[in-house]
Amino acid sequence: MSRRYDSRTTIFSPEGRLYQVEYAMEAISNAGAAIGVLAKDGVVLAAEKRVTSKLLATTKSTEKMYKIDDHVAVAVAGIMADANILINTARLQAQRYTLAYQEPMPVEQLVQSLCDTKQGYTQFGGLRPFGVSFLFAGYDNNFGFQLYMSDPSGNYGGWKAGAIGANNQAAQSMLKQDYKGDISREEAVQLALKVLSKTMDSTTLSSEKLELAEISLSPLGDVKYQVCSADDLNKLLVKFGITQPTEES
Amino acid sequence: SIMSYNGGVVIAMKGKGCVAIAADRRLGVRGHTVAMDFQKIFEMGPHLYVGLPGLATDTITVAQRLKFRLNMYELRENRRITPKTFASVVANLLYERRFGPYFVEPVIAGIDTKTGEPYICNTDLIGCLNEPDDFVVSGTCVEQAFGMCEALWEPDLEPLDLFETISQALVNAFDRDAMSGWGAVVHVIEKDKVTVRTVKTRMD
Repeated sequence: MSRRYDSRTTIFSPEGRLYQVEYAMEAISNAGAAIGVLAKDGVVLAAEKRVTSKLLATTKSTEKMYKIDDHVAVAVAGIMADANILINTARLQAQRYTLAYQEPMPVEQLVQSLCDTKQGYTQFGGLRPFGVSFLFAGYDNNFGFQLYMSDPSGNYGGWKAGAIGANNQAAQSMLKQDYKGDISREEAVQLALKVLSKTMDSTTLSSEKLELAEISLSPLGDVKYQVCSADDLNKLLVKFGITQPTEES
Repeated sequence: SIMSYNGGVVIAMKGKGCVAIAADRRLGVRGHTVAMDFQKIFEMGPHLYVGLPGLATDTITVAQRLKFRLNMYELRENRRITPKTFASVVANLLYERRFGPYFVEPVIAGIDTKTGEPYICNTDLIGCLNEPDDFVVSGTCVEQAFGMCEALWEPDLEPLDLFETISQALVNAFDRDAMSGWGAVVHVIEKDKVTVRTVKTRMD
Protein backbone atom coordinates (compact mmCIF):
# COMPACT_ATOMS: atom_id res chain seq x y z
CA MET A 1 0.00 0.00 0.00
CA SER A 2 1.99 2.98 1.19
CA ARG A 3 5.37 1.56 0.25
CA ARG A 4 6.89 4.98 -0.03
CA TYR A 5 6.77 5.36 3.78
CA ASP A 6 8.67 2.14 4.58
CA SER A 7 12.19 3.04 3.94
CA ARG A 8 12.83 5.56 6.70
CA THR A 9 12.18 4.90 10.35
CA THR A 10 11.87 8.54 11.12
CA ILE A 11 8.70 9.37 9.23
CA PHE A 12 5.08 8.54 9.88
CA SER A 13 2.81 7.07 7.26
CA PRO A 14 -0.40 8.98 6.44
CA GLU A 15 -2.30 6.55 8.68
CA GLY A 16 0.01 7.47 11.53
CA ARG A 17 2.02 4.25 11.53
CA LEU A 18 5.75 3.63 11.75
CA TYR A 19 6.30 0.86 9.22
CA GLN A 20 9.87 0.07 10.20
CA VAL A 21 8.79 -0.57 13.77
CA GLU A 22 6.01 -2.84 12.57
CA TYR A 23 8.36 -4.74 10.28
CA ALA A 24 10.69 -5.19 13.25
CA MET A 25 7.81 -6.76 15.18
CA GLU A 26 7.23 -9.08 12.20
CA ALA A 27 10.82 -10.28 12.50
CA ILE A 28 10.21 -11.11 16.15
CA SER A 29 7.03 -13.06 15.50
CA ASN A 30 9.16 -15.60 13.67
CA ALA A 31 11.55 -16.08 16.55
CA GLY A 32 11.39 -18.56 19.42
CA ALA A 33 8.71 -17.84 22.01
CA ALA A 34 9.34 -16.66 25.57
CA ILE A 35 6.86 -16.51 28.42
CA GLY A 36 7.02 -14.73 31.76
CA VAL A 37 4.76 -15.26 34.77
CA LEU A 38 4.72 -13.21 37.98
CA ALA A 39 4.24 -15.10 41.25
CA LYS A 40 3.97 -13.72 44.75
CA ASP A 41 7.41 -15.07 45.71
CA GLY A 42 9.22 -14.74 42.40
CA VAL A 43 9.15 -14.33 38.64
CA VAL A 44 9.44 -17.18 36.15
CA LEU A 45 10.82 -16.96 32.61
CA ALA A 46 10.46 -19.84 30.16
CA ALA A 47 11.66 -19.84 26.56
CA GLU A 48 11.74 -22.02 23.50
CA LYS A 49 15.12 -22.67 21.98
CA ARG A 50 15.22 -22.77 18.21
CA VAL A 51 17.86 -25.45 18.03
CA THR A 52 18.77 -25.60 14.39
CA SER A 53 21.45 -28.22 14.33
CA LYS A 54 23.00 -30.76 16.66
CA LEU A 55 26.38 -29.59 15.39
CA LEU A 56 25.83 -26.33 17.23
CA ALA A 57 28.35 -26.07 20.05
CA THR A 58 26.95 -23.53 22.47
CA THR A 59 29.63 -21.74 24.43
CA LYS A 60 27.21 -19.74 26.54
CA SER A 61 25.13 -21.48 29.15
CA THR A 62 21.84 -20.00 28.00
CA GLU A 63 20.57 -18.91 24.62
CA LYS A 64 17.54 -16.79 25.50
CA MET A 65 17.96 -15.77 29.12
CA TYR A 66 20.50 -13.23 30.28
CA LYS A 67 21.39 -11.70 33.60
CA ILE A 68 21.47 -7.92 33.50
CA ASP A 69 22.39 -7.38 37.14
CA ASP A 70 22.09 -9.45 40.29
CA HIS A 71 18.42 -8.54 40.64
CA VAL A 72 17.24 -8.37 37.00
CA ALA A 73 17.20 -10.89 34.15
CA VAL A 74 15.71 -10.85 30.66
CA ALA A 75 14.31 -13.32 28.17
CA VAL A 76 14.86 -12.38 24.55
CA ALA A 77 12.88 -12.87 21.34
CA GLY A 78 14.04 -11.67 17.96
CA ILE A 79 17.34 -10.95 16.23
CA MET A 80 20.07 -12.20 18.60
CA ALA A 81 22.70 -9.83 17.29
CA ASP A 82 20.49 -6.85 18.14
CA ALA A 83 19.71 -8.39 21.51
CA ASN A 84 23.39 -8.67 22.43
CA ILE A 85 23.91 -4.94 21.92
CA LEU A 86 20.89 -4.06 24.03
CA ILE A 87 21.81 -6.50 26.78
CA ASN A 88 25.25 -4.94 27.03
CA THR A 89 23.68 -1.47 27.13
CA ALA A 90 21.29 -2.57 29.87
CA ARG A 91 24.17 -4.01 31.90
CA LEU A 92 26.13 -0.76 31.63
CA GLN A 93 23.08 1.29 32.62
CA ALA A 94 22.52 -0.86 35.70
CA GLN A 95 26.18 -0.52 36.72
CA ARG A 96 26.22 3.24 36.17
CA TYR A 97 23.21 3.59 38.47
CA THR A 98 24.90 1.47 41.12
CA LEU A 99 28.09 3.52 40.81
CA ALA A 100 26.19 6.77 41.33
CA TYR A 101 23.70 5.68 44.00
CA GLN A 102 25.42 2.64 45.57
CA GLU A 103 22.21 0.63 45.36
CA PRO A 104 20.63 -1.67 42.76
CA MET A 105 18.76 0.08 39.95
CA PRO A 106 14.96 -0.13 40.33
CA VAL A 107 13.56 -2.51 37.72
CA GLU A 108 11.19 -0.07 36.09
CA GLN A 109 13.91 2.53 35.71
CA LEU A 110 16.14 0.00 34.00
CA VAL A 111 13.35 -1.00 31.64
CA GLN A 112 12.57 2.64 30.94
CA SER A 113 16.20 3.45 30.29
CA LEU A 114 16.56 0.61 27.81
CA CYS A 115 13.28 1.50 26.13
CA ASP A 116 14.50 5.10 25.78
CA THR A 117 17.45 3.72 23.84
CA LYS A 118 15.13 1.69 21.62
CA GLN A 119 12.87 4.71 21.06
CA GLY A 120 15.83 6.75 19.90
CA TYR A 121 16.17 4.45 16.92
CA THR A 122 12.60 5.21 15.86
CA GLN A 123 12.92 8.95 15.91
CA PHE A 124 16.39 10.08 14.85
CA GLY A 125 19.66 8.87 13.39
CA GLY A 126 18.17 7.21 10.33
CA LEU A 127 19.06 3.78 11.72
CA ARG A 128 16.64 0.86 11.77
CA PRO A 129 14.99 -0.17 15.02
CA PHE A 130 16.23 -3.13 17.07
CA GLY A 131 14.40 -6.31 16.15
CA VAL A 132 14.09 -7.52 19.72
CA SER A 133 11.37 -7.85 22.32
CA PHE A 134 12.26 -8.40 25.95
CA LEU A 135 10.64 -9.85 29.00
CA PHE A 136 12.29 -8.31 32.07
CA ALA A 137 12.03 -10.15 35.38
CA GLY A 138 13.34 -8.47 38.49
CA TYR A 139 13.05 -7.49 42.14
CA ASP A 140 13.57 -4.24 43.98
CA ASN A 141 12.85 -3.02 47.49
CA ASN A 142 10.12 -0.60 46.52
CA PHE A 143 7.86 -2.70 44.34
CA GLY A 144 8.92 -6.28 44.98
CA PHE A 145 8.83 -8.75 42.10
CA GLN A 146 8.00 -7.31 38.70
CA LEU A 147 7.59 -8.43 35.09
CA TYR A 148 7.85 -6.05 32.12
CA MET A 149 7.44 -6.54 28.38
CA SER A 150 9.05 -4.24 25.80
CA ASP A 151 8.96 -4.13 22.02
CA PRO A 152 11.00 -2.49 19.20
CA SER A 153 9.01 0.74 19.41
CA GLY A 154 10.29 1.33 22.94
CA ASN A 155 6.86 0.80 24.47
CA TYR A 156 6.79 -1.16 27.68
CA GLY A 157 4.25 -2.34 30.19
CA GLY A 158 4.18 -4.11 33.53
CA TRP A 159 2.46 -7.47 33.32
CA LYS A 160 1.36 -10.33 35.53
CA ALA A 161 2.00 -12.74 32.68
CA GLY A 162 3.22 -12.09 29.16
CA ALA A 163 4.45 -13.75 25.99
CA ILE A 164 6.74 -12.63 23.18
CA GLY A 165 7.96 -14.26 19.98
CA ALA A 166 6.20 -16.87 17.88
CA ASN A 167 2.50 -17.47 18.61
CA ASN A 168 2.56 -14.83 21.29
CA GLN A 169 -1.07 -13.91 20.81
CA ALA A 170 -2.22 -17.47 21.33
CA ALA A 171 0.06 -17.77 24.35
CA GLN A 172 -1.16 -14.47 25.76
CA SER A 173 -4.83 -15.46 25.53
CA MET A 174 -4.06 -18.83 27.12
CA LEU A 175 -2.27 -17.05 29.96
CA LYS A 176 -5.22 -14.71 30.38
CA GLN A 177 -7.55 -17.66 30.83
CA ASP A 178 -5.40 -19.68 33.19
CA TYR A 179 -3.62 -17.02 35.28
CA LYS A 180 -4.86 -16.59 38.81
CA GLY A 181 -3.57 -13.88 41.09
CA ASP A 182 -1.37 -14.76 44.11
CA ILE A 183 0.15 -17.93 42.66
CA SER A 184 3.29 -19.50 44.05
CA ARG A 185 6.50 -19.83 42.07
CA GLU A 186 5.90 -23.52 41.46
CA GLU A 187 2.45 -22.86 40.07
CA ALA A 188 3.91 -20.12 37.90
CA VAL A 189 6.48 -22.57 36.51
CA GLN A 190 3.70 -25.02 35.78
CA LEU A 191 1.63 -22.39 33.99
CA ALA A 192 4.58 -21.12 31.95
CA LEU A 193 5.67 -24.59 30.85
CA LYS A 194 2.12 -25.66 30.06
CA VAL A 195 1.38 -22.63 27.90
CA LEU A 196 4.78 -22.81 26.21
CA SER A 197 4.35 -26.48 25.34
CA LYS A 198 0.94 -25.80 23.79
CA THR A 199 2.12 -22.93 21.63
CA MET A 200 5.40 -24.44 20.50
CA ASP A 201 5.64 -25.92 17.04
CA SER A 202 7.50 -29.09 17.86
CA THR A 203 5.61 -32.24 18.72
CA THR A 204 8.12 -33.75 21.11
CA LEU A 205 9.16 -31.65 24.06
CA SER A 206 12.35 -32.08 26.02
CA SER A 207 14.69 -29.97 28.05
CA GLU A 208 16.89 -29.55 24.96
CA LYS A 209 14.33 -27.25 23.41
CA LEU A 210 13.47 -25.26 26.55
CA GLU A 211 15.05 -22.89 28.98
CA LEU A 212 13.66 -22.03 32.40
CA ALA A 213 14.87 -19.35 34.79
CA GLU A 214 13.54 -17.91 38.02
CA ILE A 215 14.12 -14.76 40.05
CA SER A 216 13.47 -15.27 43.74
CA LEU A 217 14.67 -14.24 47.19
CA SER A 218 17.16 -16.42 49.04
CA PRO A 219 16.53 -17.13 52.76
CA LEU A 220 19.11 -14.43 53.56
CA GLY A 221 17.11 -11.85 51.66
CA ASP A 222 19.20 -11.33 48.55
CA VAL A 223 17.86 -11.75 45.05
CA LYS A 224 18.81 -14.94 43.21
CA TYR A 225 18.72 -15.58 39.48
CA GLN A 226 18.73 -19.31 38.76
CA VAL A 227 18.64 -21.15 35.47
CA CYS A 228 17.06 -24.58 35.72
CA SER A 229 19.38 -27.44 34.80
CA ALA A 230 18.44 -29.81 31.98
CA ASP A 231 17.84 -32.72 34.40
CA ASP A 232 15.62 -30.69 36.70
CA LEU A 233 13.72 -29.36 33.73
CA ASN A 234 13.05 -32.87 32.46
CA LYS A 235 11.76 -33.86 35.89
CA LEU A 236 9.46 -30.83 35.97
CA LEU A 237 8.08 -31.63 32.52
CA VAL A 238 7.22 -35.16 33.66
CA LYS A 239 5.80 -33.90 36.96
CA PHE A 240 3.42 -31.50 35.28
CA GLY A 241 2.34 -34.11 32.81
CA ILE A 242 3.73 -32.28 29.82
CA THR A 243 5.94 -35.14 28.73
CA GLN A 244 5.64 -38.81 29.43
CA PRO A 245 8.32 -40.38 31.62
CA THR A 246 10.84 -42.40 29.65
CA GLU A 247 9.94 -46.08 29.64
CA GLU A 248 12.31 -48.29 31.62
CA SER A 249 12.10 -51.79 30.28
CA SER B 1 51.66 15.62 50.78
CA ILE B 2 48.43 14.32 49.34
CA MET B 3 49.25 10.65 49.90
CA SER B 4 49.68 11.22 53.65
CA TYR B 5 46.69 13.52 54.16
CA ASN B 6 44.42 10.79 55.49
CA GLY B 7 47.08 8.26 56.53
CA GLY B 8 46.90 4.49 56.41
CA VAL B 9 48.82 1.36 55.57
CA VAL B 10 48.05 -1.97 53.88
CA ILE B 11 50.24 -5.10 53.76
CA ALA B 12 49.73 -8.41 51.96
CA MET B 13 51.74 -11.62 52.32
CA LYS B 14 51.92 -14.98 50.61
CA GLY B 15 51.76 -18.20 52.57
CA LYS B 16 51.44 -21.91 51.83
CA GLY B 17 48.30 -22.15 49.72
CA CYS B 18 47.00 -18.98 51.33
CA VAL B 19 47.38 -15.20 51.29
CA ALA B 20 46.75 -12.59 53.94
CA ILE B 21 45.94 -8.91 53.56
CA ALA B 22 45.85 -6.51 56.47
CA ALA B 23 45.23 -2.81 57.00
CA ASP B 24 44.98 -0.27 59.76
CA ARG B 25 41.64 1.37 60.48
CA ARG B 26 42.50 5.03 60.94
CA LEU B 27 40.98 7.86 58.98
CA GLY B 28 42.56 11.21 59.78
CA VAL B 29 42.59 14.77 58.50
CA ARG B 30 46.29 15.59 58.75
CA GLY B 31 46.95 15.03 62.45
CA HIS B 32 43.35 14.86 63.61
CA THR B 33 41.91 11.33 63.80
CA VAL B 34 38.34 11.32 62.55
CA ALA B 35 37.41 7.62 62.38
CA MET B 36 38.73 4.31 63.72
CA ASP B 37 36.61 2.05 61.55
CA PHE B 38 37.47 3.22 58.08
CA GLN B 39 37.42 0.36 55.57
CA LYS B 40 40.44 0.14 53.29
CA ILE B 41 40.17 -3.49 52.16
CA PHE B 42 37.36 -4.41 49.81
CA GLU B 43 36.10 -7.78 48.67
CA MET B 44 36.09 -8.16 44.90
CA GLY B 45 35.34 -11.86 44.75
CA PRO B 46 35.05 -14.76 47.17
CA HIS B 47 38.84 -15.13 47.22
CA LEU B 48 39.99 -11.76 45.95
CA TYR B 49 40.59 -8.64 48.02
CA VAL B 50 42.00 -5.24 47.22
CA GLY B 51 43.44 -2.79 49.74
CA LEU B 52 43.46 0.91 48.82
CA PRO B 53 45.61 3.08 51.05
CA GLY B 54 46.02 6.75 50.21
CA LEU B 55 43.58 9.61 49.86
CA ALA B 56 40.35 8.39 51.46
CA THR B 57 37.98 9.82 48.87
CA ASP B 58 39.90 8.01 46.16
CA THR B 59 39.90 4.83 48.27
CA ILE B 60 36.10 4.86 48.16
CA THR B 61 35.79 5.97 44.54
CA VAL B 62 38.33 3.52 43.14
CA ALA B 63 36.67 0.67 45.05
CA GLN B 64 33.30 1.61 43.55
CA ARG B 65 34.67 1.98 40.02
CA LEU B 66 36.49 -1.33 40.30
CA LYS B 67 33.26 -3.03 41.36
CA PHE B 68 31.62 -1.59 38.23
CA ARG B 69 34.25 -3.09 35.95
CA LEU B 70 34.26 -6.33 37.87
CA ASN B 71 30.48 -6.72 37.59
CA MET B 72 30.58 -6.09 33.84
CA TYR B 73 33.40 -8.63 33.51
CA GLU B 74 31.51 -11.32 35.42
CA LEU B 75 28.29 -10.73 33.49
CA ARG B 76 30.02 -10.94 30.10
CA GLU B 77 32.41 -13.79 30.86
CA ASN B 78 29.97 -15.69 33.07
CA ARG B 79 32.75 -16.57 35.51
CA ARG B 80 34.75 -15.13 38.40
CA ILE B 81 37.80 -13.04 37.61
CA THR B 82 41.28 -14.38 38.44
CA PRO B 83 43.57 -12.28 40.67
CA LYS B 84 46.11 -11.75 37.91
CA THR B 85 43.49 -10.45 35.48
CA PHE B 86 42.00 -8.26 38.20
CA ALA B 87 45.42 -6.72 38.76
CA SER B 88 45.42 -5.72 35.10
CA VAL B 89 41.96 -4.16 35.51
CA VAL B 90 43.27 -2.11 38.43
CA ALA B 91 46.38 -1.03 36.55
CA ASN B 92 44.29 -0.03 33.54
CA LEU B 93 41.85 1.98 35.62
CA LEU B 94 44.71 3.90 37.23
CA TYR B 95 46.66 4.54 34.03
CA GLU B 96 43.53 5.99 32.39
CA ARG B 97 44.08 8.85 34.82
CA ARG B 98 47.79 9.13 34.04
CA PHE B 99 47.84 12.94 34.15
CA GLY B 100 45.33 13.49 36.95
CA PRO B 101 45.70 10.34 39.01
CA TYR B 102 43.75 8.72 41.80
CA PHE B 103 45.84 9.08 44.94
CA VAL B 104 45.78 5.45 45.97
CA GLU B 105 48.45 2.76 45.72
CA PRO B 106 46.48 -0.49 45.68
CA VAL B 107 47.46 -3.84 47.14
CA ILE B 108 45.82 -6.94 45.68
CA ALA B 109 45.65 -10.36 47.35
CA GLY B 110 43.78 -13.42 46.21
CA ILE B 111 43.79 -17.08 45.36
CA ASP B 112 43.14 -18.33 41.84
CA THR B 113 40.26 -20.71 42.54
CA LYS B 114 41.06 -22.93 39.55
CA THR B 115 44.70 -23.60 40.37
CA GLY B 116 44.79 -22.82 44.09
CA GLU B 117 47.78 -20.56 43.43
CA PRO B 118 48.14 -17.64 45.87
CA TYR B 119 48.71 -14.22 44.30
CA ILE B 120 49.72 -10.83 45.65
CA CYS B 121 50.74 -7.64 43.93
CA ASN B 122 50.74 -3.90 44.34
CA THR B 123 50.76 -0.94 42.00
CA ASP B 124 51.79 2.68 42.19
CA LEU B 125 49.23 5.42 41.75
CA ILE B 126 49.47 5.28 37.96
CA GLY B 127 49.20 1.54 37.55
CA CYS B 128 52.71 0.09 37.49
CA LEU B 129 52.35 -3.53 38.58
CA ASN B 130 54.75 -5.19 40.98
CA GLU B 131 54.35 -8.94 41.54
CA PRO B 132 56.83 -10.25 44.12
CA ASP B 133 56.84 -13.70 45.64
CA ASP B 134 56.84 -12.69 49.27
CA PHE B 135 55.00 -9.58 50.48
CA VAL B 136 53.77 -6.17 49.38
CA VAL B 137 53.29 -2.96 51.37
CA SER B 138 51.69 0.41 50.66
CA GLY B 139 50.78 3.51 52.64
CA THR B 140 52.30 6.17 54.88
CA CYS B 141 54.70 3.88 56.75
CA VAL B 142 56.10 1.79 53.91
CA GLU B 143 59.67 2.01 55.21
CA GLN B 144 58.67 0.65 58.60
CA ALA B 145 56.42 -1.94 56.95
CA PHE B 146 59.18 -3.11 54.60
CA GLY B 147 61.54 -3.48 57.54
CA MET B 148 59.04 -5.49 59.61
CA CYS B 149 58.06 -7.76 56.72
CA GLU B 150 61.65 -8.41 55.67
CA ALA B 151 62.49 -9.40 59.22
CA LEU B 152 59.44 -11.55 59.98
CA TRP B 153 58.41 -13.15 56.69
CA GLU B 154 59.51 -16.61 55.68
CA PRO B 155 58.20 -18.76 52.84
CA ASP B 156 55.45 -21.38 53.16
CA LEU B 157 53.77 -20.17 56.32
CA GLU B 158 50.57 -21.97 57.28
CA PRO B 159 47.40 -19.82 57.55
CA LEU B 160 47.53 -19.39 61.33
CA ASP B 161 51.25 -18.63 61.30
CA LEU B 162 50.75 -16.24 58.41
CA PHE B 163 48.10 -14.44 60.46
CA GLU B 164 50.51 -14.00 63.35
CA THR B 165 53.31 -12.84 61.08
CA ILE B 166 51.30 -10.30 59.12
CA SER B 167 49.61 -8.96 62.26
CA GLN B 168 52.93 -8.38 64.04
CA ALA B 169 54.47 -6.84 60.94
CA LEU B 170 51.56 -4.45 60.46
CA VAL B 171 51.04 -3.43 64.07
CA ASN B 172 54.70 -2.81 64.84
CA ALA B 173 55.10 -0.86 61.60
CA PHE B 174 52.16 1.46 62.14
CA ASP B 175 53.03 1.96 65.80
CA ARG B 176 56.04 3.90 64.49
CA ASP B 177 53.84 6.12 62.31
CA ALA B 178 51.70 8.94 63.58
CA MET B 179 49.32 8.80 60.62
CA SER B 180 48.44 5.10 60.78
CA GLY B 181 47.04 2.78 63.39
CA TRP B 182 43.98 2.98 65.63
CA GLY B 183 43.14 -0.70 65.14
CA ALA B 184 43.87 -3.32 62.49
CA VAL B 185 41.86 -5.73 60.37
CA VAL B 186 43.38 -8.89 58.88
CA HIS B 187 41.90 -11.15 56.20
CA VAL B 188 43.39 -14.62 55.74
CA ILE B 189 42.32 -16.14 52.44
CA GLU B 190 42.56 -19.88 51.94
CA LYS B 191 41.32 -22.01 49.07
CA ASP B 192 38.02 -22.79 50.77
CA LYS B 193 37.47 -20.05 53.30
CA VAL B 194 38.28 -16.52 54.33
CA THR B 195 38.83 -15.54 57.98
CA VAL B 196 38.55 -11.92 59.04
CA ARG B 197 39.97 -10.84 62.38
CA THR B 198 40.28 -7.45 64.06
CA VAL B 199 43.42 -6.97 66.13
CA LYS B 200 43.52 -5.10 69.43
CA THR B 201 46.22 -2.46 69.16
CA ARG B 202 47.27 0.65 71.01
CA MET B 203 44.76 3.33 70.10
CA ASP B 204 46.98 6.26 69.37
